[in-house]
Amino acid sequence: MVINGRTYDDEVEDRTLLSDFIRHQAGLTGTHVGCEHGVCGACTVQLDGEPVRSCLMLAVQADGRSLRTVEGLAGPDGELSVLQRAFTEHHALQCGFCTAGFLMTADALLRRRETGSISEAEIREELAGNLCRCTGYEGIVAAVRTAAQSPRH
Amino acid sequence: MTTRLVGAPLTRREDARVLRGETRYVDDIVIPGAAQAAFVRSPHASAAIQSIAVPEPSEADGLLAVITGRELAGLRSFPVMEPRGAHVAAGEAHPVLPVDEVRYAGQPVAAVIARTRALAEDAAELVEVEYEARPAVLSPRASDLTLMRWSQRTGDVDAAFAAAAHVVTGRYALPRLVAAPMEARGAIARYDADADGLTVWCSAQDIHRSRAQLSHILGRDEGTIHLIVPDVGGAFGSKGVVAPEVAAIAAAAIRLGVPVRWTEDRLENLVGAYQGRGIEGDVALALAADGRMLALRARLWADLGGYLLTTTPIPPHTAATLITGVYDIPAADVEVTGARTHKVPTGPYRGAGRPDAAYMIERLVDRAARELDLDRIELRRRNLIRRFPHRTPTGLEYDSGDYERCLDLALELAGPDQPSRPLGADVARGTGFAMYVERAGGGFESARIQLRPGGRFLIDSSSSPHGQGHDITFAQIAAERLQTAPGAIELRFGDSASAPGGVGTFGSRSVAQAGSAVARAADAMVGEGARLAAHLLGLEAGAVRLTPAGFLGDGAALSWAEIADSAAAPDGHPPGGAPGPLQASARFESANVFSSGVHAAEVDIDPETGQLSVRRLVAVDDAGTLINPLLAHGQVIGGVVQALGECLVEEAVYDDDGQMRSGSFLDYSLLTAAEIPPIITGEVETPTPLNPLGAKGAGEGGAVGALPAVANAVTDALGGRHVEPPYTADKLWRALHGADDRPAVPEERR
Amino acid sequence: MKPAPFVYTPAPSVAGALELLADEDATALAGGQSLVPLLNFRLARPGVLVDLNPLTALDHLHVTGGALRIGALTRQATLQRSATVAEGWPLLTEAVSHVGHAAIRNRGTVGGSVAHADPAAELPVALTALDARFHLRSGAGERTLSASELFQGPMTTALETGELLVEIEVPPVGPGARMAFLEHARTHGDFAVAGAAVVLVPGERAAIALLGAAVTPVRAHAAERALLGGAAAAEAARLAGADVGDDHRRALITTLTRRALERVLA
Repeated sequence: MVINGRTYDDEVEDRTLLSDFIRHQAGLTGTHVGCEHGVCGACTVQLDGEPVRSCLMLAVQADGRSLRTVEGLAGPDGELSVLQRAFTEHHALQCGFCTAGFLMTADALLRRRETGSISEAEIREELAGNLCRCTGYEGIVAAVRTAAQSPRH
Repeated sequence: MTTRLVGAPLTRREDARVLRGETRYVDDIVIPGAAQAAFVRSPHASAAIQSIAVPEPSEADGLLAVITGRELAGLRSFPVMEPRGAHVAAGEAHPVLPVDEVRYAGQPVAAVIARTRALAEDAAELVEVEYEARPAVLSPRASDLTLMRWSQRTGDVDAAFAAAAHVVTGRYALPRLVAAPMEARGAIARYDADADGLTVWCSAQDIHRSRAQLSHILGRDEGTIHLIVPDVGGAFGSKGVVAPEVAAIAAAAIRLGVPVRWTEDRLENLVGAYQGRGIEGDVALALAADGRMLALRARLWADLGGYLLTTTPIPPHTAATLITGVYDIPAADVEVTGARTHKVPTGPYRGAGRPDAAYMIERLVDRAARELDLDRIELRRRNLIRRFPHRTPTGLEYDSGDYERCLDLALELAGPDQPSRPLGADVARGTGFAMYVERAGGGFESARIQLRPGGRFLIDSSSSPHGQGHDITFAQIAAERLQTAPGAIELRFGDSASAPGGVGTFGSRSVAQAGSAVARAADAMVGEGARLAAHLLGLEAGAVRLTPAGFLGDGAALSWAEIADSAAAPDGHPPGGAPGPLQASARFESANVFSSGVHAAEVDIDPETGQLSVRRLVAVDDAGTLINPLLAHGQVIGGVVQALGECLVEEAVYDDDGQMRSGSFLDYSLLTAAEIPPIITGEVETPTPLNPLGAKGAGEGGAVGALPAVANAVTDALGGRHVEPPYTADKLWRALHGADDRPAVPEERR
Repeated sequence: MKPAPFVYTPAPSVAGALELLADEDATALAGGQSLVPLLNFRLARPGVLVDLNPLTALDHLHVTGGALRIGALTRQATLQRSATVAEGWPLLTEAVSHVGHAAIRNRGTVGGSVAHADPAAELPVALTALDARFHLRSGAGERTLSASELFQGPMTTALETGELLVEIEVPPVGPGARMAFLEHARTHGDFAVAGAAVVLVPGERAAIALLGAAVTPVRAHAAERALLGGAAAAEAARLAGADVGDDHRRALITTLTRRALERVLA
């Protein structure tokens, strides 16, 4: 499979979860595992551009597919995206464990939509698939709102 | 001229690593050859273990070993803390793995060590344990086994009650909660037989307590244990005691000679990690005719679970000592009994006894206002503690505070009180206020600071973060004192090989204790720098002073970079001074400091469905001097939302057999971004005289005040009927309609 | 929480899948949003997992003869974003928005939700209100069932070993139809505790399907008859909830039904 533009070629057990492949075989540990039953959203990655739970897919199902993880969000020169920078400005992360999942969910939302077209209620609804135990979501919602209003999201 | 950094809302420096996915939580750390552990767990809440048959190690199945309590007979059970004045049944400490009985469903019974986690889970299914089930005791009041007891009687309580114009009583209960950090627990243990050294990477709140607990359990000197706390994905109190599973894999790594990893999964975390709250009580308040509080009686029962873990006795003790809240009550008779039940042990969870106390006293005060027909705010005003230090009848000494200012600010932010709408309207609306005081800080922490080339500083702190933002906060504290930029300061945490002595990150104490140690170490560094600068400038030590441009004296200036260069030079020090880079260290210790606050809530209940919607929350918190308001605000909001979860959905549900029925996030609900109401915050800064920063603690206040505020608002909306959280639609609907065998009793008639 | 071992087999074709699924020990994997959690908890332990995702023939959404035809493998997100569905069967658009979250709907399939038959799931209830027909195929041939024939109990359908749900057919509802779906859940995206799906063509047709009234989606026939007879929303809703045993649940069902009816009658 291709992750963040790079091809990963490895043998997997039939039962290997995509989340475990990404973390332990591809070595991309920025994607975290929080519940392994599809509720918390920490393991969210983009499959062909759309957010999916990597704990609810088998690695073998992603054979030949294109994935994007948190490691693929910064620009080619390493510059943080508008969304990533907004997360820092709004103190949208504390322990950071859920952050990658939120970024992948929010990034897909921003890519789908035009600047300035997303309401706060919509942001909250879209983010409702990701759990955060630290921030109370305030900073996260504010960061996504800021990024959604930025012309360069 | 000084640079004001204290009070600046600086953003965090560790964020970039997180945002790029470069953090290293314990399961991200690659240890070549590490085996994985899974655990066989008790299916019974209470049972005798009759036999355990384990599969043989097998290369083909990747199975290295199955370890039971018999193999670990040489290990000690967990060390148990004894709160001041409390009686604790230390003989009931949690064993690493049990030998002859189990006391809660989910208790680890055997450790299965295999090449991969999946293989370990496969082999765990082959372990056959024969149990003889026993009856399970699930209610603390029904238990005849006391694990912890504390009581205090101050003043003539009986006389006060006999003479009182009014006596108001209440019975309150809070369910058990799961801390549920997004990263569950976990560790890697590696043993070096040649050096007899054990290295443990542990998702923990701190290195010190984890290492001390492992040292006690394993019977091994602390010096032989290298404890590393890497990035930690939240804790909220639940990672202050190492898991029994971590002690088991440490023992396994020593026995097997291979590194062993345990990554707790969510199911294990929900059923096997120690839980919070689980307390109930009968509280009575004696009042004079004018509403003055004369005495308080409280009898509390805490549901401590099957065994004592290290900190299990702490939250009930904290709840009992804080039960008089912000009120000047001269006499009190308080007793708390921590009872053994057949459930997973309890322990600290955000607030750790503080929300429990605030919930009971604040519900009771609202009830008193209703019964005495006094305004709820006015009743509070008449009884506030106004002089500090204040000694409570439970033996605490509140250092400082301005409770009335917090109350006034909360009233202002909440806006004019809207009368609750009568039942039968399309919505039942209520408002509520609650005040709290919380024990914060206390104990010691330390810091070591080194001056490095280029005028940079490296600070080793004894404390370690798991999301709070120690790094920038401590950099601000040090930079202001060193008259340099925060960017010149690097913080290092979480490695027993480099960290100075301390206790840990818990109880809203990091800034007050570890931050003060950083401040003191920075002050000592300024002294060292001044001494060297004076020497280099040929002046008396008192003749130089530090400015943002460096040390000034007699028209000359020396920057920290120049001081660093000189210190590195062989002849750079004054006679008798040790050569080499400048270093300073400090240990800071103080008594507890007491944060406080007032929270307000406005709620609606849909009378047709019972659905509660919290429309608005106000949180006014006084955490003393705020070092970084951005991060302090984050702590408040995070705490408030955890309290909101406690009000709306969170509860560890057990069935009659003691089986935990909340073993997934589908059952144990956490709030999402879509459920959060507007939260308006306000800060009052009453500095504590007990530390050089004036800082108290902001980590728990949000979780303490919001619970009783919402509880009072819900009761208001229900016209005075009392219901215990979580306020599910089912309960509220029944309270409104009095429709079943669990009717809510109107307070007036209780 | 790692699955017990199984053999993974991608379905080569619908016929090939049917052959593989004739094995008692085989389970079909569609979107995986319900099955994979069960695998991870080891509550489902199939010997063979037949992955239907390669069967692109089952991933279609189109209108033929006025009826909406939903391939079983159609993603819930596709259903949610379809302008055709929003125009002709807005009940489905509304119901599917309550299914989990965006990331769940991107993988979860309409057929999977139906075949899983969770009594708290939204789509089976909405399809019940819409008189959907469920096309099943097996080695022995095809058959078509109604919702009441398909849904037999909690997590239980009439699907037999070796049989696959291939398509869901939703008949046209006629001009002037009004629809609404309302539910009560603890948190956003959580499974519903109770819900009501209503379809109304004034004077012609009234359909009320309930979530949480029984262990399967059920139609409130008495309430439907009353509505057609001119009963007010409150009276019809009272009838809809009349048989629900638990009093709070009855209150939820009655309230949600009444509010849904008020919306379509407004």
